[in-house]
Amino acid sequence: MLLKFITTSLLMGFTFSVFAITPQDLLKIYEAQSSKASPSRGEQFFNAKHGKEWSCSSCHENPPNHDTKHIVTGKVIKPLAPNANPARFTDEIKADKWFKRNCNDVLDRDCTAQEKAEVLSWLMIVK
Amino acid sequence: MVNDCEMSSMKIKKTILIFATLLLTSSGTFAAKMAMPVDVPASYETECASCHMAYPPALLSEQSWKNVMSGLSKHFGTDAGVDAKTQIEITNWLVKNATTRQKYIETAPENRITKTSWFIRKHDEVKPDVWKRVSIKSPANCGACHIDAAKGIFSESKIKIPLK
Repeated sequence: MLLKFITTSLLMGFTFSVFAITPQDLLKIYEAQSSKASPSRGEQFFNAKHGKEWSCSSCHENPPNHDTKHIVTGKVIKPLAPNANPARFTDEIKADKWFKRNCNDVLDRDCTAQEKAEVLSWLMIVK
Repeated sequence: MVNDCEMSSMKIKKTILIFATLLLTSSGTFAAKMAMPVDVPASYETECASCHMAYPPALLSEQSWKNVMSGLSKHFGTDAGVDAKTQIEITNWLVKNATTRQKYIETAPENRITKTSWFIRKHDEVKPDVWKRVSIKSPANCGACHIDAAKGIFSESKIKIPLK
């Protein structure tokens, strides 16, 4: 029993260390693939439409620091800004999955590393 | 030694007991079919229920779920794409728990629960302006009126239509 507990704890610790990152880490990853991010450009990008019906703020609102509702289904979406919701941008795979989905919804294409960096750099300073 | 009167009384009690048991069992089965199965994979919550309610699988037929799950990159106007492993996991679970009841078994037009004939019939008294209320927004938002929808309970007694 104790052995099982120790093994599980070790495994969980291992998994945690592999996947857990901070928004700062993620920003560095995106900046390394592009260049230094500008939060003000990120804010503009987040609130603008890009040729399709929705902007990021259609579902996440501006500022995205509170519970919002999905524009179609009404489902509650937790705050996107890390200051309001510390779970955000702490898992690179999850962040990339949602960037892929939501960028397709808003821009009809993948976002560039630069666009991701800028949006994230702005979200990180949203109070 | 029991007399005839006591005998028949016992028989009646026994009959009532049998009927009560049957009734309880059958209503239990009915509720369980619409309820969220206990083995719901975590991926169903993270991949599907982040954008909409976690619909109980018994709301659609096996074929309808297969149709939904084969087109996730274009899912009602959004990209809901998942990786291959997750797609198989969710599809298998939905298919396993899809409805088998004749009433719900039709293949949903446009893959929408809300376009099935039973859904339309059940909601035919709901006026168009009610659907548009801010707190309802969409017929996909079951929980706006069916207060226990998340538990798979859609009975008439558990409906509260919001005024705004």
